[in-house]
Amino acid sequence: MVVVSEKIDMTEFQKERKEVLETWSTGSMIDLAEGIEFQKNLSESKRFSLVMKNAQENGLLLLQPRAGVALVDEHIKLLSRLENYCDLLPTTIDAYTRQNRYQDAQRGIERSVKSGQSMLNGFPAVNHGLEACRRVVQAVHKPLEVRHGTPDARLLAEITLAGGFTAFEGGGISYNIPYAKKVPLETSIRHWQYVDRLVGFYQEERITINREPFGPLSGTLIPPFISHAVAILEGLLALEQGVVSLTLGYGQLGNLIQDVAAIRSLRELADEYFQRFGYTNYELTTVLHQWMGGFPEKETQAYSVIAWGGAVAALSGATKVIIKTPHEASGIPTCEANIQGLEATRQITNMLKDQYLPDSRELSIETEIIKQEVRAVLDSVFDLGQGNIAAGAVRAFQAGVIDVPFSPSIYNKGKMLSIRDNVGAIRVLEKAEVPLPESVYKYHADKIQQRACAEGRQPCFQMVVDDIYAISKGRLVGRPR
Amino acid sequence: MRQHTIVLGVIGSDCHAVGNKILERYFANAGFNVINLGVMVSQQEFIDAAIETNANAILISSLYGQGELDCEGLRGRCIEAGLENIVLYVGGNLVIGKKDFSAIERKFQRMGYDRIFKPDADLEQVTLLLRQDIDSLQSVQENRI
Repeated sequence: MVVVSEKIDMTEFQKERKEVLETWSTGSMIDLAEGIEFQKNLSESKRFSLVMKNAQENGLLLLQPRAGVALVDEHIKLLSRLENYCDLLPTTIDAYTRQNRYQDAQRGIERSVKSGQSMLNGFPAVNHGLEACRRVVQAVHKPLEVRHGTPDARLLAEITLAGGFTAFEGGGISYNIPYAKKVPLETSIRHWQYVDRLVGFYQEERITINREPFGPLSGTLIPPFISHAVAILEGLLALEQGVVSLTLGYGQLGNLIQDVAAIRSLRELADEYFQRFGYTNYELTTVLHQWMGGFPEKETQAYSVIAWGGAVAALSGATKVIIKTPHEASGIPTCEANIQGLEATRQITNMLKDQYLPDSRELSIETEIIKQEVRAVLDSVFDLGQGNIAAGAVRAFQAGVIDVPFSPSIYNKGKMLSIRDNVGAIRVLEKAEVPLPESVYKYHADKIQQRACAEGRQPCFQMVVDDIYAISKGRLVGRPR
Repeated sequence: MRQHTIVLGVIGSDCHAVGNKILERYFANAGFNVINLGVMVSQQEFIDAAIETNANAILISSLYGQGELDCEGLRGRCIEAGLENIVLYVGGNLVIGKKDFSAIERKFQRMGYDRIFKPDADLEQVTLLLRQDIDSLQSVQENRI
């Protein structure tokens, strides 16, 4: 499959659309014109892009949980309780739907009815269909986003957007590389061009749908420049299809300076590249995900991780923070645990409302390093693509120019190795094929060496493993036991 | 000591890859012949791999909460496929929500799993148990012969 980088032609789109809607029975209910009418009648308070834009203009930080259960009424109950504690609502989609396994999702729904509790880890929106989505949207008072991890989300997007959801997470890279094993990147990118084109079509009818590339990727020792490069590429691919409202994401890593530098550089770099490609009419905001790696099992300790994520989000100037819960170590949280996570976060973000992290030498060095890294990687991607961003991205993964640590995908090289330095920032231990400038690579090596000296051991895979489990064991840097 | 073969993987639609990569390294270093099927593995793929490699055990991970739906019926399918003496381990966050572990353990024991582990299981302990369980099943098998 050859993937091109241009706005999908409407005739081609309509033809593909017909096939997409036939992939599950609920697709036949979708009428684009009628979906647009439904979106037009939504109140402004449910318009995700508008709430994000207002928050950014007023310097506010918005809180959003993750939540979704198998059955419609239960899902409505869950969201109706959560909306008293958050600013933006989610609907997390179950893992079968994410893999387009609607038969399995159906079995999950039936078993959930029988057992009286959710057997799925999210809301199977495709199986429930259009009217169920609208019941959810009409039952709540805040903007709703679809949050998932779906390499082919075309049908999901058709149903949920016609159903009144006003934001849609994901992208052709960020919902493939961390979420699939053998979906070719050109396939997922093309399927996400479809989603973006659909959002672009709504936009032509003056309905803005917010799009959010998934920042944290595998959530495991991802250096900021890797996730930034992916976020900016997905931003460009979305803009190409007519998307206007973009929220770029980043997963908290744990070192304050690096995290604040990451959010700052993400904004500045995105503006730089979007404008370089001639885009001026876009609304850009940022989101920080509280720590996405392993959590401590004890809830008291988990609160600490949650609060630190809230603090970093506030100090970095992000517009939105995605919250974790004290149940994180055990998987899917109850509604109560979700509320506790929101309350813990709200306390710290309110306390830090009027504070920011002042400029310092360390902060500007970190910001500058990330910018140099991202530019080196993206320049290489654009060279590889020769004017075709999508093809450049595909070739970049083939060549290992972009390399995501701990990805399940066979289309990711997985040769780059990253590790924490002596103050907990993520550094590149082995760059493999990633085109880091020599001076930057040396900066990383020096920082890693400081840790190696402090611990009296050479950097090795065991050190990486120690870092992966460090936070769940009550620290940031995986010191030797 | 002869080398044991184990089949490793994350079941169902679960794509949690990190622990799987670490387990692969750990068991290989501990001397096992590890057949790692990676993430998103179906029951049939586990069974096929176990038959092909004449494996002693299947170790299943599930972290995303839908483990109950994915894991049921595997013991029966193993027996149907002729894998009567295979050790079945399962570990992770196996059900939706924070539940009492002993209840989860009973549920999966009833489903035919030999041992059930939490996500923070001590791997040295797991290795010790795995060797014991494989050896005792093998001696049963040899006695029959």
